[in-house]
Amino acid sequence: MAHWAILSGIEGNLAAYEAVLADIKRLRQTVTELFILGDVIGLQGNNEGVVARLRSPQPGELIPQVCTGWWEEQALSLYGLRGLPDAPELRASQGQGAVKHLWDDLSRETVQWLNSLSFGFFELDCLLIHGSTVSYDDALTPETPVMVMCDRIMRANANNLFCGRSGQTFEYHLRSGSIPSTVTTLDQATDQEGQSLQPWQVVGVGCVGRPGQPPTYTLYNPGSNQVTFKTVTPAGVRGFGRSPAQPRR
Amino acid sequence: MKLAVISCIHGNYEALNAVLSDIDDHQADQIYCLGDLVGYGPHPNAVVEMIRSLDIPTCQGCWDEDIVEGLNACECSYPSQLAEQRGRQAHEWTNQVIHPEVRDYLATLPLTLRQDNLCFVHGSPNSQHEYLLQDMDGFVALERVLATEADVLFCGHTHIPYVRQLNHGKLSVSIQQPGQSAQSQQFEAPLKSIINAGSVGEPRHGRPNATYVIYDTETAATTLREVPYDYQKTCADIIEKGLPPVFAWRLAQGLEFAERAEDPEHVCQR
Repeated sequence: MAHWAILSGIEGNLAAYEAVLADIKRLRQTVTELFILGDVIGLQGNNEGVVARLRSPQPGELIPQVCTGWWEEQALSLYGLRGLPDAPELRASQGQGAVKHLWDDLSRETVQWLNSLSFGFFELDCLLIHGSTVSYDDALTPETPVMVMCDRIMRANANNLFCGRSGQTFEYHLRSGSIPSTVTTLDQATDQEGQSLQPWQVVGVGCVGRPGQPPTYTLYNPGSNQVTFKTVTPAGVRGFGRSPAQPRR
Repeated sequence: MKLAVISCIHGNYEALNAVLSDIDDHQADQIYCLGDLVGYGPHPNAVVEMIRSLDIPTCQGCWDEDIVEGLNACECSYPSQLAEQRGRQAHEWTNQVIHPEVRDYLATLPLTLRQDNLCFVHGSPNSQHEYLLQDMDGFVALERVLATEADVLFCGHTHIPYVRQLNHGKLSVSIQQPGQSAQSQQFEAPLKSIINAGSVGEPRHGRPNATYVIYDTETAATTLREVPYDYQKTCADIIEKGLPPVFAWRLAQGLEFAERAEDPEHVCQR
């Protein structure tokens, strides 16, 4: 049965992305889709190299389906293409130096490509997104309160929600749920209703490029609904793989 | 303590006067208002002046916000394109006639009010634009109340009053992380309620009467009130002021077919 490879958080770490691609090639399972749930760029890595790699897969490789993440939204804000101008969120969380770095680091062509990315993907009964339908900054984790998690998946109108904002790998399964309620209106004394939930799951897909930790990603079998987390530990993952000559705006 | 909760007056001074008289008759100790003082109706300044003179704690509604900040929301300002066309006309008229001090007052209104275990909002805790409909998903409704850390959430915005009690919702989840054994968690929510105050000045429950609610904080007893008033006078004023005649028609019907939200839980991302 075909599998999907789902990853997030490359953050400009080209070596880590290459290691994940190599790992996918080595799998016994057939991978038919490659989803990247945002944060392909970051502060420390080879952003232009990663974007070029994503846009030009080698012969025989899957064409990655990429959506925006927190870092892409910051870049688009910085360039006045989305949200508030001048990336106040980036400035507040990473400082003015990060703003200047991102401004200097991205070519105009790359920014245009980032602006063309989707906010998320809906495939079968799965929503694949960086944060959630509430926000790209919505970090779902194993500690997220169950009602918040319930809200996020019901907003999505999906049975499976794959997200990458937290960088963690986890499966959060709803086994059962019920809520009786009554509604009283001007014309109807009291209407009682009961509601139960179908099982759903929220999956944190891991993080490819974050420094100091091995790349993690997720394999998903949409036929069996089975989730498998993969950790990649090759020798070449430690660096960021920045080549000497980088394209500039 | 007996509370009267009113919402969505929409510049309808006649309706507000009738509701305030009804509240007097029921000897409420405190009035709360859930916003949308202006918009659609012909007397926005008079309505705001009345609310201010009575010192009624008031949340900011979506129409109040638009008069302060301009129509800069995404398409969620209105639930349909037809409603948007009509709403824009009403917004522009209101924006022209509103007094500067009234606009300043609307800018000071909070999004949320609290009293003990009660929370008051216009639309939802998420947004002035979100509709908490009476038949919305029970778990989503419960999440909205839990987000306020209150037991009772008062809202308006839909213009149709209701009381919804959410009785001990239960959820069972398991959480699995690599290298760790699965953890099971059980969640059971205590009784929570959503009370929609309806609309004083632009009702949509099928009759032209103004609606609001009375809530007893000791017993949690809730009474949905429906108050007849001289709506024809408001209708005549709508025509006389040059507002779209359809506003008078729908006020007389207590219906608005264009106001059915296709995505009621949408949260504006502007």
